[in-house]
Amino acid sequence: MTAEVLKYTREQVEALELAPGTEHERLEGWVPALAGDQDLCQALEKAFDYRGDVTLTLKSGERIEAFIFNRHTGATLTESFVQYFTPTAPEKRKVGYAEIARLEFSGKDRAAGKHWEDWVKAYNEKKAAGEKNIALHPDKLE
Amino acid sequence: MATVATYVLKKRLTGQKRYPLVLMLEPLFRCNLACAGCGKVQYPPHILKKQLTPEECFSAVEECGAPMVSLPGGEPLLHPQIVEIVNGLVARRKYVYLCTNALELKRRLPEFTPSKYLTFSVHLDGQREHHDFSVCREGGYEIAIEGIQEAVRRGFRVTTNATFFDGTDPNSVRGFFDEVMEMGVEGIVLSPGYSYDKAPDQNHFMGRARVRRLFRAILSNRKPSWKFNMSPLFLEFLMGKRNYECTPWGSPAYNIFGWQRPCYLLQDGYAESFKELMETTKWEEYGVASGNPKCANCMVSCGYEPTAVIEGFGSLRGFWAMVRGSFSSYRDEHALKLLNEPAPHGPSTLVQIAEPAESLEVTNA
Repeated sequence: MTAEVLKYTREQVEALELAPGTEHERLEGWVPALAGDQDLCQALEKAFDYRGDVTLTLKSGERIEAFIFNRHTGATLTESFVQYFTPTAPEKRKVGYAEIARLEFSGKDRAAGKHWEDWVKAYNEKKAAGEKNIALHPDKLE
Repeated sequence: MATVATYVLKKRLTGQKRYPLVLMLEPLFRCNLACAGCGKVQYPPHILKKQLTPEECFSAVEECGAPMVSLPGGEPLLHPQIVEIVNGLVARRKYVYLCTNALELKRRLPEFTPSKYLTFSVHLDGQREHHDFSVCREGGYEIAIEGIQEAVRRGFRVTTNATFFDGTDPNSVRGFFDEVMEMGVEGIVLSPGYSYDKAPDQNHFMGRARVRRLFRAILSNRKPSWKFNMSPLFLEFLMGKRNYECTPWGSPAYNIFGWQRPCYLLQDGYAESFKELMETTKWEEYGVASGNPKCANCMVSCGYEPTAVIEGFGSLRGFWAMVRGSFSSYRDEHALKLLNEPAPHGPSTLVQIAEPAESLEVTNA
């Protein structure tokens, strides 16, 4: 969406009939190479946008499976941190960018495959097969 | 209405530039529907199992100070302490809008007490087949209707709450308005849909010109029986009669992650306190005027209705426009012609603009 809309002026945006939709990168399973500070910052920004759990490996060797819901970026890595929930602890936690050695997009992308177009296709197929009470159901809470 | 008017006037008299009108209090993200494209429920199970405690809800409400509290989600009726939360908010004399898909409403109604402070805002996206298709569940409409009818019978305040996307048939929407008003609901709430960054991918969604044309067709030539539980000025904005900027701080959102920046839809981070949210969010970076592409096509009520409400209660001219709008049928011959155009059949293919833009007035012609 970003790149498309940036092409337009305010007047053009006001006159848009159809606006470009969103398209996310497929990040599930990805382990970004963290060669420098910029790589780390960019990867953590993607982790903040990711709709699934990630695994952080700290420089201390500790591994944290977490859902990252917030990030604060300061002038340096030591002033920057992410906030997260783990599957087992009830409270919010935070860890500094400077402590992170490795990041893996280890959890399932919970938004993948849930496009409107997927539903329309599935609905038409089920309807054609004569199914009744067609519905999508929430994922099980495992 | 008087409470909101007094609140806005007080804020103006004390010179407060930014203040909230409605707190969007999300007690949980868990839902019993799986609507395709919904950006509110796509979380790992351990996040979906979390919920705000009643005490956390009350603290947020006290901290924020808004006169109205909307309880969206997820599905609030899945929260095991939702009755305690609602009763606590009513005791604080907050106008509570419990937003529900109504799958559980009929069963849970005996636990609630009717009050002028409590409204059930039932998610209904149109007539039967449109709603069922929208929420990805055949039979969903029927269950919601039963909930609405039982709530009305028990003396609760009830509104319906619809989001319209590309492909909406304006004639069907007008038929839907007739149906819900006959059920005895107090008013209708509506908004155009918006594909925000955190929602699942979508090919495209309605641009601002198409939103204005759709809502002009829907909302012009109104029947006297239709009542809207929204600012008439916001509806005029949707119809292309007004040009507003977004007021993202007007509907601040609080959930298990904290105070959401900058608004209910975009998730650009979280603040620990309401004060921190208001004082440290770079508000100038949001809204269509900012040039932020994430905001470019948004005309959603949570950002633009506060603008309309503040205008309506903030000046004599705005107040008069609001009164006039409340009693106008918005007769419009061109809108009648729009209703006679062939009905759309779902989302069409993406067509990029090629020519320089037309003005707002042209698209409204």
